[in-house]
Amino acid sequence: MKSAIDPDQQGQKPPPSPGARRILEAVWSRLRTIDVRQIGLPIAVVALFVLFSSTSDVFLTARNFQNVSLQAAALALVAFGQAFVILARGLDLSVGSTVAFVSVVTGLVMVDGGVLLGVLAGLAAGLGVGVVNGLVVTRLGVVPFVGTLAMLSIASGAALTLAGGTPIVGLPESFTTLASQRIVGVPLPAIFVIICFGVAFFFLRSTRFGRYIYAIGGNPEAARLSGINVATMTALTYVICSLLAAFGALILTARVASGQPTLGASLALESVAAVVLGGVSLFGGRGSLFGVLMGVVFVSVLGNGLNLLNVRSYTQMIILGTALIAAVALDRRLARRTGD
Amino acid sequence: MTSDDPAPFVELREVTKHYPGVTALDAVSLDLRLGEVHALVGENGAGKTTLTGVLTGALHADAGEVFVAGKSVKLDSPAAARKLGIVGISQELAIEPYLTVSDNIVLGQEPTVGPGHQVLSRRLADSTATRALASLGASDVPLGSTAGRLSTARKQLVEIARALALDARVILMDEPTSSLPGSDASKLLELIRELRADAKAILFISHRLEEVIEIADRVTVVRSGRKIATLPIEEAPIDRMIELMVGRSIKDFFPPRRSLPGDVVLEIEGMSRDPEFHDVSLSVRSGEILGLAGLVGAGRTEVMRAVAGADPRDAGTIRLHGDELDPASPSDSIAAGIVYLPEDRTEQGLVLTMSVLENIALPSMARLTQGWGLLRRARVQDLGRQWCSKLGVRGRIEGSVANLSGGNRQKVVIAKWVATTPQVLIFDEPTRGIDVGAKREVFEVMHELAAGGAAIVFVSSEIPELMNVAHRIIVMSAGRVTDELQEHEFDEERILTAAFAAHVERKALT
Repeated sequence: MKSAIDPDQQGQKPPPSPGARRILEAVWSRLRTIDVRQIGLPIAVVALFVLFSSTSDVFLTARNFQNVSLQAAALALVAFGQAFVILARGLDLSVGSTVAFVSVVTGLVMVDGGVLLGVLAGLAAGLGVGVVNGLVVTRLGVVPFVGTLAMLSIASGAALTLAGGTPIVGLPESFTTLASQRIVGVPLPAIFVIICFGVAFFFLRSTRFGRYIYAIGGNPEAARLSGINVATMTALTYVICSLLAAFGALILTARVASGQPTLGASLALESVAAVVLGGVSLFGGRGSLFGVLMGVVFVSVLGNGLNLLNVRSYTQMIILGTALIAAVALDRRLARRTGD
Repeated sequence: MTSDDPAPFVELREVTKHYPGVTALDAVSLDLRLGEVHALVGENGAGKTTLTGVLTGALHADAGEVFVAGKSVKLDSPAAARKLGIVGISQELAIEPYLTVSDNIVLGQEPTVGPGHQVLSRRLADSTATRALASLGASDVPLGSTAGRLSTARKQLVEIARALALDARVILMDEPTSSLPGSDASKLLELIRELRADAKAILFISHRLEEVIEIADRVTVVRSGRKIATLPIEEAPIDRMIELMVGRSIKDFFPPRRSLPGDVVLEIEGMSRDPEFHDVSLSVRSGEILGLAGLVGAGRTEVMRAVAGADPRDAGTIRLHGDELDPASPSDSIAAGIVYLPEDRTEQGLVLTMSVLENIALPSMARLTQGWGLLRRARVQDLGRQWCSKLGVRGRIEGSVANLSGGNRQKVVIAKWVATTPQVLIFDEPTRGIDVGAKREVFEVMHELAAGGAAIVFVSSEIPELMNVAHRIIVMSAGRVTDELQEHEFDEERILTAAFAAHVERKALT
């Protein structure tokens, strides 16, 4: 501004108009504040879309998207639950066998007792696993890694025992067709996931319990001294996680039209992958559910695209594991550069 | 010290180090001579720790040069610095807690034997460790015991022994006495004298200026990343050092008391928890600041945490306005109006991953929500704004609390608790690690709260602070109350005597 009234400046090249400069500065400062780590995943998702739509004719069809969203539904629910646990500095490795256990319980009860009773029994089974996980971690003081790894074995064993090692068939059609129903072209499970996402997102962001979960993950001792009941809130995250896993189990059970004691074996890894790729810190307290949703999209689209390219599922496991390591390694490197 | 200034062994020339948003070191030059103790003093954030970081190779300077024995050197890793004989003994001791004393001493330079020198020789390791400990007069430290179980003073000895085993010429000590009880601290100073006689160059960083006077040959004062002066110790009495550190005179440092004590608000009686504290009784009045003096480990924090419901107690009653209170968790105490401001802000007071606003709202959230736990954002914002402006918190309040300086973090901790409108506030070492200006502001807040009718307990290890801020002082020693002084009785010697009382008695018995 000073230059405008400075006579010495006359005859020299005029400086860019203040308005334009201000806009440029605003854009630049805005660009500078963008964290590469936060936009990395959306960029990766876009890259997958570009890659698969150029290599497969089927990828960019409405039918395929219906397919992906149906496949992603169970993972999304489990990953949302996993995010609650990890945000509070925990970890739930038992989600996969919880899904199997819920599937078997649902199947067994539904065959004799009907759809409603079956669904309620399944949800109760999930609730039970969550309560036990929560108590084991908070009351018995078993570290989450060990406690939920043990629960993985227990729930899996229980599912196989109850089912006698074989799938439970003969579920009513009114239940199994739920998975394939659509509302304005969107599969019912996907709509359910969107509702769950909205509720969970809102819970974490706008309720005090949500803030407590972040506070516990960020600093459990400070949270306790602030009058937060850390043990109860932590246990609650395990209950939420197992309940969401139970909903995921219901969707999968309907899709395969049977109670399966081996359902969901890959969900522990996939859910942790989606949560971590989505930018949630494994040390707790940091990350958003929107990032987790993006992580789910990434994992699901990757699997779908590879399927379309006829990559075998065993090879896909190798690719997913490698992608997880690469993403976290890249994140660590960027974190060091920004001095975080 | 000789008068014909010997050539420096280590010399820093115009060393500069930037962090995002701050210049931690601004063209600082400094030299260390063999057989000399060089003290480095300054407020927190003045650049002392950054400077040692540069010397130990843990941090990389952005500009400037380092010379060792006249040659320009590159200190690009701790290993490079160690090779040149420069070893740092950090504030947080770098001890491997699960290894033995002997293994700790030879860590990183394990003596090996056998083909290709690949087999660790326990015999050689033990003899190296024995020699190093013996030269420190610390042969009684058992070589085979697990290092993590030693006392802080002995862990420090192990670290110094490690430096000697490395044949270090230069030893950097960052606040080595801050975590030691008095007698151990004076032993350490004695040891530093011996190291000096042994022609080591020692850089000694301490907040305890009396120690600096006692031990140093020269002192360098730094302020906001700049070197202010290097003086022979004879020319730097304590007042002068403080003036140089602060940049102004220290008069009017303590704001005047503004309140008169009224009725008793908090009363505790017969509080005990074995072995930390025994039969502690005290009371605080409305408008009163009660000072709680004592040595580190005297049980002050433990009693106060029990009052705040953060830890259990074996026995004792707590009364608030005459009504008995039995807090089973911090939330009980908070609901009753008793809040505890922890001594370790970062570990216990704040959630660093959250914003300033959210940290302030944390204990008040029940008040800031409507049905179903829904947060009222506007009220969260108002609350945070109101207290940040009242307490003068500088920094972006929507941003992470991790971006604030120590003094501003302390103000956020205060804001967080004051916002719950408590009747009793327990300040545990509220001035530790914050600079002089922020200290004064903290005292002003305490006086204002007292003037507003709050009852305040002020735990501090700085006796001058207690004498100038509190209305009354209670002294604890080894878990018991040993003295109580009214304002007209305040006397540093009497407080110190009471603080050491339990230790003296024990000695008299043996």
